Amino acid sequence: MSEAQQAERTNDRAPNEEPASFLDVTVSQVVQEYPRPDGEGVQRILDGIDLELNAPTINMLLGPSGCGKSTLLRLLGGVRPIGVKSPTSGEVRIGGVPCNGPHDEAVMVFQRYANRPDLTVYENVAFPFRLKLWRARVPPAEQETRVQEMLEAVGLADKAELRPSQLSGGQNQRVALARALVLRPRILLMDEPFGALDAQTREEMQRLLIDLWKAQKCIVVFVTHDVTEALLLGDRVLVLSASPATIVDDFRIDEPRPRSDAWLMSTPVVQMKDRILQRLHGSKSHGQVRVSF
Amino acid sequence: MWNPYDPLPARQRRAYGFASVALVLGVWTVLTAGSLVPPSKLPSIVQCGAAFARLAWDPERGESLLLQATTWSLLRVFVASVLVVAIGVPMGILMGAEPRINAFLSPLVDPLRSAPVVAILPILVMWLGIGETMKIVFLFIGAVVFLVPMVRDAMQAVSQQHWIAARDLGATPWEAVRHAVYPMAKPRIMDAIIVAVSVMWTYITVAEYVNADRGLGQLISIARRQSAMDKVFVGIGVIIALALVTYSLMRALKRALYPWESE
Repeated sequence: MSEAQQAERTNDRAPNEEPASFLDVTVSQVVQEYPRPDGEGVQRILDGIDLELNAPTINMLLGPSGCGKSTLLRLLGGVRPIGVKSPTSGEVRIGGVPCNGPHDEAVMVFQRYANRPDLTVYENVAFPFRLKLWRARVPPAEQETRVQEMLEAVGLADKAELRPSQLSGGQNQRVALARALVLRPRILLMDEPFGALDAQTREEMQRLLIDLWKAQKCIVVFVTHDVTEALLLGDRVLVLSASPATIVDDFRIDEPRPRSDAWLMSTPVVQMKDRILQRLHGSKSHGQVRVSF
Repeated sequence: MWNPYDPLPARQRRAYGFASVALVLGVWTVLTAGSLVPPSKLPSIVQCGAAFARLAWDPERGESLLLQATTWSLLRVFVASVLVVAIGVPMGILMGAEPRINAFLSPLVDPLRSAPVVAILPILVMWLGIGETMKIVFLFIGAVVFLVPMVRDAMQAVSQQHWIAARDLGATPWEAVRHAVYPMAKPRIMDAIIVAVSVMWTYITVAEYVNADRGLGQLISIARRQSAMDKVFVGIGVIIALALVTYSLMRALKRALYPWESE
């Protein structure tokens, strides 16, 4: 790795140091602008975002599609966009250290899995250990136990030798989730991970995520445009306006998970949902927000 | 009803294929049998068969000219293929992975795809003489100009998603190319190699035109000089057969190596 690339990655601990229980993420006055596709001027995507995540909680980023949720997510220790200063202004700190690119403690899960079709389920989950960074940090014997444990945790132990094409969409997303969690990240960034799944599979995956999170607590930032999903999963629901996005509301939900349908139908929750929808539409939003039951 | 997406049953497909070959053979037979075309221009199927038998085994000399020629041509194509893969594939991968290398090399590589490679032959003869080196280099150039851009395109066709995911997990750019982009590009790189080898079979006669003492190209050019059209037909037929066999073998190899691609 060249010095430039090393500088690009943020790493806040020495290879063998034990991770602290959690890291705090601070976003201050973040503005993100992209050049317009027609080349004339810039388009503001994020308009002064302030956010503090200082406990291992599940944080839902809710907003109309195309509002800049994913852009914000990528700033929190993911891969930054190419060829654009990111963020345009403001600062993201992870564990107190300014973060300017992919962070070792932040791992991303994508809607489109990004599994390698030529590898088995086992090899896909073990994929990060092909990289120098993780080979150096996790001894081979532990790599194996971790992969095995993760396969069992996501319920794919009996499918370890299959290839992604032999799995369903939900199972593929389990592989991607296991590949992320095998690194025991302290920040898990999820970019509409269940958006492409059918309703029933989405519910299964939501329950799985809660179980996995209870076993291995970390800061989860979960992008969705599904209000129900946000209410079912989040300790906190951050509502973003349409582009340029600002945080227009910030709910905390104390109800223990898994949350029942009865809870979802109860008057305070329905009121909360109405308020979120109002916020979303009341802001200059023309995008789509989904409510599913 | 006509439907482009409805696959034809295997038996019907074979019947149509058989019909087209039979049609050509039929027209050929009619043309030669009625002496509509003189044998010096179009030998009959029987004549070609006899020529094939004589070339396959010459009892007087006790050797098989055809087998000799085939072996030599195969060897040349094989050596040139190894070189094309060993040099062209890494070059294409680097061009596909690093825009600066691509920008540097593509003005040299891309125009060559439509260059008259055959016209390069006299130059190669001047530079390299008339021996084996010239023939191998000619085959190499003829194929590598197709291979390199195809390999580059194969790399660039891989979804950026795989790159981003690997980089996010902590891969260095090199690791992301090696573990995420290149493995996805492999089946299309294999396609490029298949095309390159097929192209070599079309150039083999040209490569062996100059001073070959053995080879299918030489067999054809000598036969032409002797106006032995039946032998010319046999030579062409054998080259087509060899090209078809190598093509099918490589397709089978591709399916065996990358079974996940078609799934």
